[in-house]
Amino acid sequence: MTCEKCKKNHATYHLTAKENGQMREAHLCEECAKQAGVTVKFNFSIPEVLGSLLDVKPPTTSGSKANQLRCPECGITYAEFKTKARLGCANDYEVFRTELVRLLEKIHGATSHAGKTPQTADSQVRKENELIRLKRDLESVVKSEDFEKAAMIRDRIRSLEHELNP
Amino acid sequence: MKVEELLGQSGEWLKGTGNDSDVVISSRIRLARNLHRFPFLTVATPAVRSEIEKFIRPRLENTRLPRKLNYWSLPEITLIERTLLVERHLISKEHAQAEGDRGVAVAGDEAISIMVNEEDHLRLQVIRSGLQLDEAFEEIDRMDTALESQLHYAFHPRFGYLTACPTNVGTGLRISVMMHLPAAVLSKQMDKVLQSLQRLNYTVRGFYGEGTSPLGDFYQVSNQVTLGKSERDIIAEMKKVVSEILKFERSWRVKLLEDEPRKIEDRVWRAYGVLKHARRITSEEATELLSAVRLGMNMNLLTGIPPKVINELFLVTQPSHLQKIERRVLEPDERDVVRADFIRRKLEGL
Repeated sequence: MTCEKCKKNHATYHLTAKENGQMREAHLCEECAKQAGVTVKFNFSIPEVLGSLLDVKPPTTSGSKANQLRCPECGITYAEFKTKARLGCANDYEVFRTELVRLLEKIHGATSHAGKTPQTADSQVRKENELIRLKRDLESVVKSEDFEKAAMIRDRIRSLEHELNP
Repeated sequence: MKVEELLGQSGEWLKGTGNDSDVVISSRIRLARNLHRFPFLTVATPAVRSEIEKFIRPRLENTRLPRKLNYWSLPEITLIERTLLVERHLISKEHAQAEGDRGVAVAGDEAISIMVNEEDHLRLQVIRSGLQLDEAFEEIDRMDTALESQLHYAFHPRFGYLTACPTNVGTGLRISVMMHLPAAVLSKQMDKVLQSLQRLNYTVRGFYGEGTSPLGDFYQVSNQVTLGKSERDIIAEMKKVVSEILKFERSWRVKLLEDEPRKIEDRVWRAYGVLKHARRITSEEATELLSAVRLGMNMNLLTGIPPKVINELFLVTQPSHLQKIERRVLEPDERDVVRADFIRRKLEGL
């Protein structure tokens, strides 16, 4: 079926409306439906929904303070999270904990996990993960010329490498 | 294995088997997981992205999974091949169009796919034909446990599995049940269904997920809540919801047949006639008509067509599949001709 407004696109929205006491049907394409102000139920993105949840209340003083919170690990602020709707790292869940708890309550109606818990990854895997992280950290502290810290990291890398390949 | 070799096989969800397959096309479950101590992809530099992929890939390949995986690095395959993976529901549209190091591991029969570096470091997916939520969950849970011994996941004692978007945190579990609801649409009852689902915190999307409009009366119903409930509870609730929609759709099929048998028969046969004889057809029109034929088959108005043939036509008439089958790039106009030819050949002699 072709859209009755633009007569070009395929009609994907089939609407019924009451007009002057008479039922009327309209068949519109996505674009024309949007232009006609039809709320499109299927076409919302998660950031939009999240955005609307985050802005339920007008910003308060505590809100603006929260906006300035910054995660020391990944560097994003709560304000940045609000615009992107994506967190930067696992540590954000601690740094923005109070704000996130409120948000989780709105999204999920709950704030605590009740599902599966991982069997702790075996120590070999954890050591490998740590090794990768330490090597990355080493690069960045060398760049910032923090040689004291670099020496500590290097020692830890050596001992881990020794443990993994004795 | 090359991406185009997938064309020679029929994806799991196309089989047209499984419980309630007159209404339910497929049951899909995905788990969102991130690695401990790597930043989320939101802030990952290209070098870190590459490091994450290099870390995950060998571990995926080493994990003893039930079926052998093929890994494709997405920057190394063409856009048409990536879109083909989207059309087969193996990766998301976003994953196909994104940039940087990322990939997907797919099991030979396409029931399993694992996206690496999508919105989260890992997105595991299991898809089954028809309504098979328990089976799909058992499979994905086993896979998740096997991977967990190789990869240290980001997990928080209070918030559960940590994800880039708080809408996925906790279980990281998203169930999507793809349903064919032509009778509800024809009887103009879909608004009712959509409204009650929204009230229950379920989202409804089109054939190809977020941001796509419903086409051919296919709707994907998904849970929104991932936190505060166990995986089993989320599945049990979804099963209840699906069974209500099933009853609703079936009762409207019966009613359509009772009230206006000629009208519905005409719709089905007309659709079949156009598909059998058209010389040009767009993918939207093909999907709408195939939907009517599928309804006719399930209402026993049209017999003798194997469900698999119709299900496969839904897929192979999509733009990237058509171009891969023809082994060349086709302009949209040209595609419509090739598509019509292809459908006629498939339906010939049935």
